Amino acid sequence: GTGGKEGKGWKKFQSYKGEGALPPEVERLRIFVDRKAQTVILPMHGSAVPFHINTIKNASKNDEGEFTILRINFQTPGQLAGKKEDTPFEDPDATFIRSVSYRSPDGHRFDNICKQITDLKKEANKREQQKKEMAD
Amino acid sequence: MTTQFDRIFHGLSSEVGKFRVAASGMAWKGAESDGVVLMAANHIDWVQWLRVARNFQLRIGLKDEKREYRIEKFDGFMREDHDKLASLMKNHFGKTLETKEISFKGWNWGATDFQGSNLAFLVSDKTAFELPLDQVTNSNMAGRTEVSLEFSSLSSSTKPSAKAMGDEMVEIRFHVPGTHTKLKGTGSDD
Repeated sequence: GTGGKEGKGWKKFQSYKGEGALPPEVERLRIFVDRKAQTVILPMHGSAVPFHINTIKNASKNDEGEFTILRINFQTPGQLAGKKEDTPFEDPDATFIRSVSYRSPDGHRFDNICKQITDLKKEANKREQQKKEMAD
Repeated sequence: MTTQFDRIFHGLSSEVGKFRVAASGMAWKGAESDGVVLMAANHIDWVQWLRVARNFQLRIGLKDEKREYRIEKFDGFMREDHDKLASLMKNHFGKTLETKEISFKGWNWGATDFQGSNLAFLVSDKTAFELPLDQVTNSNMAGRTEVSLEFSSLSSSTKPSAKAMGDEMVEIRFHVPGTHTKLKGTGSDD
């Protein structure tokens, strides 16, 4: 790998500047969609881990018996996109999180979170599209 | 003299308890159960401070007479507790409360780092999260650049009410671009 070099066309984005900006809801150790920060916060073994909507590809939900599985897929290099232009990456040689799956007995809540993530992604895509049109 | 902190969690448990610091050591006692965690002053090796989901965590490295190592984690400290804890650690145990830097950038790329029994994911050289490898029940390589880790159910062992439980991560997949170069001999992709 070439390493270290910033990928072409990658625009900087960031969820939070510091821990003080985390919303208080993270205390509940549950997935939280922070619309204002365009971020999905995932509980990971006691930590609150933000993921900016730009890193997220999509979210899906599956029922497995009495549990519901929520899967969040992330943008990573090497995916056969097959549409639009290639997503630029800051460091294509880094290790990427490709997906995470969560399990809950509360299917209704996961359904709701899945919708919130999908809506947030739609909004972000729309904004991106508008920016492009303005630039043209 | 004993200093007490209320509403402190031990590890990932949902039970709150009281955390006490005295010259003889530290102790946590659960409010509902009779659970007690004792840490003798002469066993305390290091102390760390970091932001977690339930506010701040005090992480303590312990080494007993048999040189057995253990790490205890206590969540629920407030930002304002830092200075008080730092001086308690210094005065009682002669230890410096180190701050572990955490990333809140929201990026999904970085580097993995094995730290003891944890796999840490670092974003811009700061920890984003840690995964306990002793809770990994299965791992897989799907293709040449994808590694997945599956986790055992936390709820099955302790059986708390579903209401009190947080959301449970059951699987994480990593895209590791350099993986195939490290594999000797190709041919199997599983």
